[in-house]
Amino acid sequence: MKRTSTAVVGIAVAALALTGCSGGGGTASGGDENTLTVSGWSLSTTPEFQLLADGFEAQHDGVTVKLVEYDPTDYNTLLTADLAAGKGPDVITQKEVKYLPTFQQGGQLLDVSDVTLPEGIGGADSYKVDGTAYATPYRQDSWVLYYNKALFDEAGVDYPDGSWTWDDYADAADALKSGFEDAGVKATPIYQHSWQSTVQGFAAAQTGSDLLAGDYGYLKDYYQRVLDLQENGDQVPYNTVMANKLTYQGEFGKQSAAMMPMGTWFTATLVSQQESGEADDFEWGIAPVPQLDDSTTGTDATPVTFGDPTGFGVNANVSDEKAQLAKEFLEYAASEDAAKALAGIGITPALLNDAVTEAYFNVEGTPQDDLSKFALSTHETLPENPADENTAAIQNILNDLHTAVLSGSQDIDSAIADAEGRVANEVG
Amino acid sequence: MSETKMLITPPSPRKRAAGGQATGAGTPQRKIGRALLYVLLIAAAAALLLPFFWMVMSSLKDANSVFSVPIHWIPEIFVWDNYVEIWQKSDILVWIRNTVVVSVGVTFLQVTTGSFAAYGFSRIRFRGRDALFLLYVATIAVPWQSYMIPQFIMLSNAGLANTLWSILLLQAFGAFGVFLMKQYYETIPEELSEAARLDGLSEYGIWARIMVPLSIPAIASLALLTFVNTWNDFLGPLIYLRDPSLWTMQLGLNNFVSSLYNVDYGVLFAGLVISVVPIAIIFLLGQRYFVEGIATSGMKG
Amino acid sequence: MSITAEQTTDAKAKVPKRHVSRLRLRYTLIGWSFILPNFVGFVLLTLIPVVTVFYMSLTNWNIFGSSQFIGLDNFVRLAGDSSFHSAFGNTLYFAVLHIPLTIAVSLGLALLLNSKLRGVAFFRTAAFFPYITSIVAIALVWNLLLSPQYGPVNQVLGFLGLQNPPGWLTSSDWAMPAVVVVETWRRMGYYMVLFLAGLQTVPRELHEAARTDGANALQRFRHVTLPALRPTMFFVTVMLTIESLKILDLIIVLTDGGPGQATTVIAQFIWTKGFEENQFGYSSAASVVLFLLCLIVTIIQFLWNKRKAV
Repeated sequence: MKRTSTAVVGIAVAALALTGCSGGGGTASGGDENTLTVSGWSLSTTPEFQLLADGFEAQHDGVTVKLVEYDPTDYNTLLTADLAAGKGPDVITQKEVKYLPTFQQGGQLLDVSDVTLPEGIGGADSYKVDGTAYATPYRQDSWVLYYNKALFDEAGVDYPDGSWTWDDYADAADALKSGFEDAGVKATPIYQHSWQSTVQGFAAAQTGSDLLAGDYGYLKDYYQRVLDLQENGDQVPYNTVMANKLTYQGEFGKQSAAMMPMGTWFTATLVSQQESGEADDFEWGIAPVPQLDDSTTGTDATPVTFGDPTGFGVNANVSDEKAQLAKEFLEYAASEDAAKALAGIGITPALLNDAVTEAYFNVEGTPQDDLSKFALSTHETLPENPADENTAAIQNILNDLHTAVLSGSQDIDSAIADAEGRVANEVG
Repeated sequence: MSETKMLITPPSPRKRAAGGQATGAGTPQRKIGRALLYVLLIAAAAALLLPFFWMVMSSLKDANSVFSVPIHWIPEIFVWDNYVEIWQKSDILVWIRNTVVVSVGVTFLQVTTGSFAAYGFSRIRFRGRDALFLLYVATIAVPWQSYMIPQFIMLSNAGLANTLWSILLLQAFGAFGVFLMKQYYETIPEELSEAARLDGLSEYGIWARIMVPLSIPAIASLALLTFVNTWNDFLGPLIYLRDPSLWTMQLGLNNFVSSLYNVDYGVLFAGLVISVVPIAIIFLLGQRYFVEGIATSGMKG
Repeated sequence: MSITAEQTTDAKAKVPKRHVSRLRLRYTLIGWSFILPNFVGFVLLTLIPVVTVFYMSLTNWNIFGSSQFIGLDNFVRLAGDSSFHSAFGNTLYFAVLHIPLTIAVSLGLALLLNSKLRGVAFFRTAAFFPYITSIVAIALVWNLLLSPQYGPVNQVLGFLGLQNPPGWLTSSDWAMPAVVVVETWRRMGYYMVLFLAGLQTVPRELHEAARTDGANALQRFRHVTLPALRPTMFFVTVMLTIESLKILDLIIVLTDGGPGQATTVIAQFIWTKGFEENQFGYSSAASVVLFLLCLIVTIIQFLWNKRKAV
């Protein structure tokens, strides 16, 4: 007995020594000063990384950018493991804003406040912790309303004109439904994906509520509306979306739904799927998302929506020279040159001036109407995830609220009360 | 010695027992009972195979008809292209090779070191043995995801991350095999070992000549379960294997499917069917060892 | 291999006086020589990382770099964390339903298929199929089968005249029982394999002796099969208990803990706190609680088994 317990103590000491010395630094690329490693995911269907790498190499003689591919769904887990083992990339791509505070607190990210960003770039504030920037954005998706012009025509309903509030949206859905019935079209007016952001993102942004404040009464009207739409058969019920594993690409691309609130990343996917034949060939457009009230509707106002940027941070363990090179990469990725190149493959860059917007709509297969251009370029985009250490925990609690309410297993009032109680009890 | 003899002689033919019953119960009744049993078994088998059947059928559908409302069990048009696509566009042969290497290696190490250690735990008395054994079993209770990162850091520092060795080492020395074999050894009568000791066999000889042959059913089930677990493991390879030339079947399939614009379940299921077939064959060929071990092994002399 | 044994035998012969302690040393050496090949791997790859988890549960480690020792703060926080409470309750609920059900079903299958029926190989393989079918496919199929509106299960129930069939995975009351059924269905082939191996140790002669004494099938099962199956039963119960308390993969793919928190279990709490919220110290504390829970249950089973063995 005694021997075993001494052995255990010995092992514990050895273990601590082993893990203790591991935190200290190093990156995957090691000492080669002219090679920059950049993390990415799904490289074959996410061409933006190669595009930025090529562009940067063209500007910097003798520099090689090496892309490190990670699994898209487990990106954060794998990156965390590599960073913990001192094998992280030089440039750490920030796939989701909510994980930035963890990397920052863990001392994995360099202060990149001295990287100069072009005037008017969106999303930069999302990466600031106490006024210091730990990453810079290169793309900034925001949520818009995709609609199928062909289905609207068949139902004899007017296209969205930018003046919609959520009530107008619900009315249009009703009109589409009866139009489809009359015309014998098998389609649902709305497809809303299962994510919590499809309700909560709009609610927080448009009511000007703070996710971190711990008060979630603002969600009520937004959930009530969705529940009513489900009830009326205006949109595919949440339970069916889950049980049948519906994909938003399939639902919209195969014309099962006429309208779909979605992030602007969908444009590139839809264009390429229509080209390859994976999606049907039909006319579509982009409109601003419906608004809370009249004050932000119409093309002379600025609609309010939400979205998070995607950006790059610099690994804190790199050498000074390497850090300099990495910061130049960040600067390039945020520049107008890069923005135009990104727009040229259907990506929504963080910098959206007229030249960039023009490049975006020059892509073959994108809609050409004025409202689509307005919807892409004009909006006040509030962050979905504020850069705060509690964001991830709160979002998890609100996701439980989302599944409980939309599945119909809990009513909205008690779900909100539960969530508020849990945030007060478990967070902070 | 009577117990020993009983264990190592082949079981008496069932006919005798069945015949004995038949005289009492009457043949027609027994026939009906047997027919009912088959009906029951066939119904159960259908329920058990239903999802696999659905998977096979879905692997022959195009992406958009996999999830239809209501469920279509049989595809309207059989799409064999899914198999062609995965065979031609992916490195499935590389994945299969890696998976076979890892699964065979892990199974071999788990069975040999596990049954060897189990003999020490079940047949040799020494100080601290029970405490040590409890320690083994207790670690099973710690979920892998909680020590995954410390383990990754260690193997990474040892230069083993991103090699097939990492997966081999990770799975090979679990407490599961030791525990399973120890429990089985305890059912083998001590008298057998005593007799062998008197005949001058060393402990190692007893393990090799008596315990191993007598525990074929346990070894077969341990080998099979270890093989299947390693074959189907996803999280381990996901964390450790980054280089596409090292990917296993599950990891490769996942990557192949997620590199499409959206998950093509038809192609995914084609890959999954391919990955299930080898295990099914191994099971079908090997299942008799679960029940025939003792009857066929026996002891020489 | 046999060199060690012979050497110690020689040593024993030379010093007959210290026979007992020499013998003990000899057995200790032989014992360790058996255990060592596995033990080295076990210590390096499992034990050291596991011990690290125990230390980390006393710190505020966030996975990167250094961590501060904060004593039992994490455990105090767990005691007051309502999410942990519901995860704990859900885990016990799952285990209490799942363990007896799985033992009954898999033992029943093993008894049925431990015979020379025609086609028994096919049925054994069929029983094992759910375990080798990909978990992704299992989740997809069961989601479809249990779909509240269009699922075949509810259609059959409606056909049988049930007015309001449950919403299964979409209902907070029925989600856990549904998960239990799917997990039992998935794992019964696995435990059947273990029981089949165990049944080979049941002496057939004893069976026949009992039969001649006029014992019916149930009596033979209770007095012949069960006692002989005790070591296997112990193994299965311990493994099944631990695996039930650690359940994660099926829940992730089937319900992801929902709806709401209805099927959130401890292992998922550990994953979320660790990998989504990067509180590895806190997550480690939850692992330690799970470990202690498993340990207590295992020790009870251990003692019970010992008592029965006497």
